[in-house]
Amino acid sequence: MWNNVVSEIFKMFIENNVSCLRFNFRGVGESTGSHSSGKGELSDVKACIDFLINKKGIQKITISGYSYGAAIGCSAVNYSEKVVGFIAISFVWDYMGFKYKKLSQTNKPKLFIQGNKDDIAFYSKFFEHYEFYENPKDYKIIDGADHFYWGYETQVVQELLKFYKSIV
Amino acid sequence: MVATEKLFINNNDIKLEAEYFESSSDTTSAVIICHPQPQIN
Repeated sequence: MWNNVVSEIFKMFIENNVSCLRFNFRGVGESTGSHSSGKGELSDVKACIDFLINKKGIQKITISGYSYGAAIGCSAVNYSEKVVGFIAISFVWDYMGFKYKKLSQTNKPKLFIQGNKDDIAFYSKFFEHYEFYENPKDYKIIDGADHFYWGYETQVVQELLKFYKSIV
Repeated sequence: MVATEKLFINNNDIKLEAEYFESSSDTTSAVIICHPQPQIN
């Protein structure tokens, strides 16, 4: 359950006393099952949403995801009215296909974070994808960051926190 | 030292490894954080 971006996000929310849940998709770490090319993983996110609502009494959920996690996680934004918005870091639209772009369309608040040196979630195509989304929406370009955000984690989490506080 | 809860979330026959932190001041709002490529642990 370790990744430099996800770990910094989790740590930042804890330091700011914000309830947060991180998890491994099926087939990763100690999660059972095996990778299912997105369909099962989307249901994993929905299971986490149900868990927060039914077991923890959560009324407002913000989804954040990085790379593949952005594509899958943000695609559950319309699953429940208790999901109030999403934060997508380096959404890999061009690898995941139109399905996840369409599923993540929503009139709920959303923030897209993108490095301008990212050649996996192509920066060159970022604004084309961004324009697809309805308002309210916003974006932050992290100058100098590639897909892995080494050395830029603090900038990323500061943008996340600012946006989170604006919608909750 | 901040305590987090390590747990498994059931998704039908799948058990998802998870870690949860509960705020002491706001217990009605939460963030879900989704990892990148599934093979990265």
